[in-house]
Amino acid sequence: MAITSARPLGLLQRERALRPDLLLVLPYLALAAFGVLMVYTASAPRLSASGADPGFLMKRQAVFAVVGMVVFVVASMIESRPLKGKVPLIYLGTLVLLLLVLTPLGASRLGANRWIELGPFQLQPSEFAKLGVILALAALLSESVEGPLRWHHLARTAVLMGIPSVLIFLQPDLGTMLVFAFIAATVLFVAGTTWRQLVFLVLVAVVGTIGLLQANALKDYQLTRIVAFMDDTSDLSATANYNQEQSVTAIGSGGFLGKGLLQGTQTNLSFVPEQETDFIFTAVGEQLGFVGAVTVLALYLVLIWRLLVASANARDRFSQLLAVGVAALMVFHVFVNVGMTLRVMPVTGLPLPFLSSGGSAFIAMSAALGLGHGVWMRRSPVPGERQLL
Amino acid sequence: MSTGARLAVLGVLFLALFSVLTLRLWTVQVTASTEYQILAENNQVRVVETPAPRGEIRDRQGRLMAGTQPALAAVLDGALVPDEDDPDEPDFIQRLSALTGIAADEVRHAVADARTRADRITLVEELSDEQALRLVEYEEDFPGVSVLPQPVRIYPEAVLGGHLVGYIGDPNEDDIAKPGISPTDRVGRAGVERQYDDDLRGTPGIIKYRIDAQQNVLEVVGEQPPEAGDNLILTVDLDVQRILEDSLMKGLRAARDDYQADCDPATDPRCPVRAVGVVLDATDGAVVAMSSVPGYDPNLFVDGVSQREWDRLSELAVFNNFAIQGEYAPASTFKSVAYVLALEERIYALEGEAQVNDATYFCDGQLEFRFTDGSPQVLNDWTSTGHGDVDLHTGLQTSCDLYFWQIALNIWTNRSSTEGGTIAEDLLQQWARRFGFDEPTGVDLPFEQGGLIPDREWFERAQVESPGLVRDGPWTGGDVLNAVIGQGSVLVTPLQLANAYAAMVNGGTLWQPRVVDAVVDEAGEVVRQIAPEAIGHIDLSPQSVAFLRQDLHQVINGPTGTARSAFADFGEGVDLVGGKTGTAEVIKGETAEEDVDTAVFTGVVPIDDPRYVVVIVIERGGSGGQIAAPTAIPVLQYLLTGTTTGSEIEVGSGETD
Repeated sequence: MAITSARPLGLLQRERALRPDLLLVLPYLALAAFGVLMVYTASAPRLSASGADPGFLMKRQAVFAVVGMVVFVVASMIESRPLKGKVPLIYLGTLVLLLLVLTPLGASRLGANRWIELGPFQLQPSEFAKLGVILALAALLSESVEGPLRWHHLARTAVLMGIPSVLIFLQPDLGTMLVFAFIAATVLFVAGTTWRQLVFLVLVAVVGTIGLLQANALKDYQLTRIVAFMDDTSDLSATANYNQEQSVTAIGSGGFLGKGLLQGTQTNLSFVPEQETDFIFTAVGEQLGFVGAVTVLALYLVLIWRLLVASANARDRFSQLLAVGVAALMVFHVFVNVGMTLRVMPVTGLPLPFLSSGGSAFIAMSAALGLGHGVWMRRSPVPGERQLL
Repeated sequence: MSTGARLAVLGVLFLALFSVLTLRLWTVQVTASTEYQILAENNQVRVVETPAPRGEIRDRQGRLMAGTQPALAAVLDGALVPDEDDPDEPDFIQRLSALTGIAADEVRHAVADARTRADRITLVEELSDEQALRLVEYEEDFPGVSVLPQPVRIYPEAVLGGHLVGYIGDPNEDDIAKPGISPTDRVGRAGVERQYDDDLRGTPGIIKYRIDAQQNVLEVVGEQPPEAGDNLILTVDLDVQRILEDSLMKGLRAARDDYQADCDPATDPRCPVRAVGVVLDATDGAVVAMSSVPGYDPNLFVDGVSQREWDRLSELAVFNNFAIQGEYAPASTFKSVAYVLALEERIYALEGEAQVNDATYFCDGQLEFRFTDGSPQVLNDWTSTGHGDVDLHTGLQTSCDLYFWQIALNIWTNRSSTEGGTIAEDLLQQWARRFGFDEPTGVDLPFEQGGLIPDREWFERAQVESPGLVRDGPWTGGDVLNAVIGQGSVLVTPLQLANAYAAMVNGGTLWQPRVVDAVVDEAGEVVRQIAPEAIGHIDLSPQSVAFLRQDLHQVINGPTGTARSAFADFGEGVDLVGGKTGTAEVIKGETAEEDVDTAVFTGVVPIDDPRYVVVIVIERGGSGGQIAAPTAIPVLQYLLTGTTTGSEIEVGSGETD
């Protein structure tokens, strides 16, 4: 009886089909497809004006999207236990990639070393490093089940985050550093920081910021962007704010319903720079208006909601922290990127997940989202009950 | 706090972040959308002004005095020209300087100017065909420099009528503040070009281009052609103008030859410096001709004038139109005012009507009278021998100073502030002002001066306001004696003098002088007629007018007339000429020979039914009868007969007024 009573439970566990969370998968697919379309509208006029194939960037983005979706499916299938076992390796691999960028292998563009040339493609390790950091944090902090974190957790987190941060800082890539910090803060909070630790973290953040400014550690353009953002009247703002002014003008001129696809004058005439990458949301706002922009935000909100639900129902502590880390990644990217196009945040090079043109970001984000999705698919049958891996 | 609670907190926090974005989207895309739509629209549209052809200026017979002709200009676009330090465009300034032949410094200045104003600036108004071709051919070497068709001003008559037409130049800050004037426009700076600038300028056209973020022009989205400015028809007759200027030049030449042919008027205060003339229609105030010699060619200003050239020309004030800006002592020509006063007020040298038809006043060449304090004073007539027995008529014909001094003395001694006096102290000044002296005539030309008719009030104010201008002590009868013969502080412009004579001989109508007859549009339709306008009427008895005409006639034709010898060879029509000479003392010499005088002559033709008044002033030229009257002769001949005898102008011999 004991055996038979145990079997049905075990069978139940094993046999429960891994059903996808359509509430997460459909928005993801919608965003990916929409991203391909937006890349087309943002790049075709310029490409055809210069005599190139107007569909070039769109086709490339479509290839990235397909690859990304495969990665998403694969990531969804990965069991948390073997994954956690591989975290040290993944973490080390991340560090190696970040180091490679700084070697002659790394390609420099616009004054920053962020890429590794791989034949016709450029790999952007920092996009993958974000996922590496999430995994490392989840692994480290899942040692304790529930209850307050110890100070040594904070110390070890600091070391774990510090090494890639320094490498990122050398590229330099301020945006990614901020992503690390936001993810760490979010994951630490869910892992169970005490109020004192929270206050301490806030203090560290403030002191760290002042320290960076005092030590003149920021590059001129980073400072300029921030000063320009905070002070409209400064001389620096004239050029530094140009992108954002054009972006807000484009979005604002879109109005409630937008100017229609390929009808955006600001976009078509290239008034907004980087409009198929960092400023892709501008193309959305101008062409599809308030309705289109809010729809896109809503799709992200659904993704994030599903990740938080997955976290709440995670079967184990590692998965729980992994899912919330992915949610933090998404939130930060969307908020900072969209905020940048709307001039509520300073200019940083963070892409908009699944919409911005670019392979590394799409594939890394898909992997992260896939892992989060996997957490939901293998959620605990008893809500709130978690195992220690 | 449980993990679930912490996740819930995160959920709320994330929702809050998304709300911020949504709220911001609402304000940008819904609340403020219209403003951003305008911004986006302006972003992609670039408006370029195309200059309007400036209106033409023609004389009364339709002959062109100022026009426009198409030319290719080199225009700098402030948004596109490279900075001097631009590493991509080294030697840009030098290249442009070499091609256009403009000094590198000037090019540098223009480029910097265009960049700071982010506007278009014309670097060269009129490119040669070769320059234009090279600029177009090597376009990529000259970023931001375009070759554009722009109308350029031409003055086919050059120096002839230059002061009347005026010239155009870059607008100053006041001009730019006016609507419709941009820094690249040219505006009238002198003459009718200035006075009628609003009519002549026209409305610039507009071309709207659609551009991309790199300022590349994609297409023309709208075009509004420029509206040409209206044309002016002047009252001036170029034929008369030409004869007047020719005579003035010859007169000035003759006066110089008589002194020292190669004298320099800028350094030698005795050297004849200038000849000024006005021909006025006495029946309606139309200026038929007006000139101030030496003059200037307005074409000088079309491409800008160099500082050196400007300095050289400014030294002799050639840019000033002395016919309206020059203030001269009218000398004996002013006696006509006292003459009319005498007849109308019945104040003669001696009491009684006998003075108009009986020569009983003995003009002995010296007037003796006593100052208020009793000290004796002697005034000398312009000729020491005097003129014998004169009445008012012969007094004017011979220009007897004594006769007019006596009139002034009579006014002074019977002025109302003295016991038993009944005459207004400023009776002379009142009459002068009725004829338009002491204030600008209001002719439609800029910078007109008003002259001066001195009186007690002016004298006392001048003592306070401009010490040194007038002597100390009270206003005296001596001042009135000076004024009555047009000396002392009396100053008139040649145009004022002509206009006053016109009013005196036409029966008392003071006309508004004008140089523009009509403003007409491109199709020739009259936009605005500048109609003759009477600005004053002086009640003159027909007899006074008839007397004056008769005596002016005698100045020329009478046995003792001061201009008789000058007009001896006038020929046909001399009987129709009336006039008055004047000689204004500029420097008093040891002898009459050493005096430096400004010669004045006022002529009227035909004197029996006056149509034209001619005023000639030759600054430091000598006496009116010797040089001003001869200079007027060709003009008067032409006005009477349509031709001139073509005889040379010579300084007359013998002492005359």
